[in-house]
Amino acid sequence: MFSKILIANRGEIALRIIRACRELGIRTVAVYSQADRDSLHVRFADEAICIGQAPSSNSYLNIPAIISAAEITDVEAIHPGYGFLSENSHFAEICDSCKITFIGPTPENIKLMGDKMIARATMQKAGLPIVPGSTAIVKNKEEAIKTARRIGYPVIIKAAAGGGGKGIRICHNDLTLISSLMTAQAEAEASFGNPNVYIEKYVEKPRHIEIQILADKYGHIVHLGERDCTIQRRHQKLLEESPSPVVDNKLRKRLGELAVRGAKQVNYISAGTIEFLLDQRNNFYFMEMNTRIQVEHPVTELVTGIDLIKQQIRVAAGEKLYFQQDDIQIKGAAIECRINAEDFENNFMPCPGKIETLNLPGGPGVRLDTHIYQGYEIVPYYDSLIAKLITYGRNRQEAIRIMQRALNEFNIAPIKTTIPFHLKLLENPLFLKGEISTHFVQEMLKEEPKGEE
Amino acid sequence: MNLKEIKEMINLMNDNGLVELEIEKDGTRIRLKKISSASEASSSGPVVIEREKITQAAAKESKEAMDKTTVKTVEIKAPMVGTFYRAPTPEAPPYVEVDQVIEPGQVICIIEAMKLMNEIKSEIKGKILEILVDNSEPVEFGQPMFLIEPL
Repeated sequence: MFSKILIANRGEIALRIIRACRELGIRTVAVYSQADRDSLHVRFADEAICIGQAPSSNSYLNIPAIISAAEITDVEAIHPGYGFLSENSHFAEICDSCKITFIGPTPENIKLMGDKMIARATMQKAGLPIVPGSTAIVKNKEEAIKTARRIGYPVIIKAAAGGGGKGIRICHNDLTLISSLMTAQAEAEASFGNPNVYIEKYVEKPRHIEIQILADKYGHIVHLGERDCTIQRRHQKLLEESPSPVVDNKLRKRLGELAVRGAKQVNYISAGTIEFLLDQRNNFYFMEMNTRIQVEHPVTELVTGIDLIKQQIRVAAGEKLYFQQDDIQIKGAAIECRINAEDFENNFMPCPGKIETLNLPGGPGVRLDTHIYQGYEIVPYYDSLIAKLITYGRNRQEAIRIMQRALNEFNIAPIKTTIPFHLKLLENPLFLKGEISTHFVQEMLKEEPKGEE
Repeated sequence: MNLKEIKEMINLMNDNGLVELEIEKDGTRIRLKKISSASEASSSGPVVIEREKITQAAAKESKEAMDKTTVKTVEIKAPMVGTFYRAPTPEAPPYVEVDQVIEPGQVICIIEAMKLMNEIKSEIKGKILEILVDNSEPVEFGQPMFLIEPL
């Protein structure tokens, strides 16, 4: 087991990792930008090194600074958290060459799954259904129309090097397809420096169901059930739950087996997530694979009783998984609300600033993953996630009741947060019945749909 | 009072289980206070250092102190994380010494990061009053390395 780990991240996930290390008896090193000098992860770690100025490129994305900090503190491993360098295969390679263990999958795993078209082709080979689509980059309107006719409208144009909802266009007929092709290519060029696009069948009113997998270095791979992440706004997740209200034991077994098969296909190591789209007739399609620990991992931890961060560390240290697939039981229900420092009535505008009043929720069934404290100044340089409120009950109704109670106890002032938005969401009858799709939030807020023509 | 003496005081605190220590010497008052960490077993919680230069009014009471507190000083801080070296190689003489006058563009030390030796140059002209880091000690971004009297 490692004696010292450096956490190459900040905020709530850095705290999460430090806590797991504490419980495993591992010493921790925090790195921080000048803007994060007063951050909780800096105070909680055994050692802390300032690595640069506030902007991420100077600090949390600054590979030489992070590796240098790792060297001078003599750590054996680095945990990259999520975001930042967690899916940067180049960083993983540098860690390897410096004889520092990267807590996560191999550089090859990261590279393979980072290219969306290669990921699709690889998973298809493993027997996972993929969304019907073009088999290569679509170069002109003739190819686009031919592909669209073959797979059937509506279709979605996506950037091959893409992400973050950019370079995406949904088209319902030939006319809009032709005009959208050019604008999508232009947006892809502007956002990613690469105008290549491909076309997929657009799954209407889909649900986003993802499977958590865990693999050790000896080829043992298990799945830990699903998370339903259908509640999204502009492709950003807002609320996640496990189990999914629309996944029964049979479907869970099927999705889980396919996810494990996909992971085995690429000799995957550590924690990972396979994302599927579920249509209204319960057909499912592989979307993409995330080769890191995810923000919403706590809901899986609560329903399975397995600490995913500790497992990542154990696997990286060369330990075998101590459980088999049959040992994993999904018990109860968990929900997570992502609390952001945003003004939801004002188009979710970010609201950095000082927290003058803070009252944290508590009581049975409540877990709070957060780095905020009274007097803490939320800085504008990073994302607006300030807390994850997770509740756990015997069933979905109980988890929802506890969440409503906890959200009402959660008092942050004067900065605006998305707590009122979550309260509104949890009263919505469609949400309570579990009858939702990824369009739900925008319909609830009566917003303009993004990228729809 | 230099960093070496401060480090000795920190060791003194740790060895004797002290939580707070205040010392006044040569016109400077230093207070070291331990922040208790979550684990009881851990005796190496982060230490807060407050350095106060006694104001002009108070210094009038002790004439000897006055000379030391009215000097204007500037700190040269580490522009990167790494290991601080005073000379290009272990056998070579240090780039600079205390009381030496340095010019803008002059190499004053090396910070080694990821096996690369980076020459750090001064941006100002001045006299070196104090060297705040020992040879081959680690430095973090923004850590003061040299105390300079600008000329």
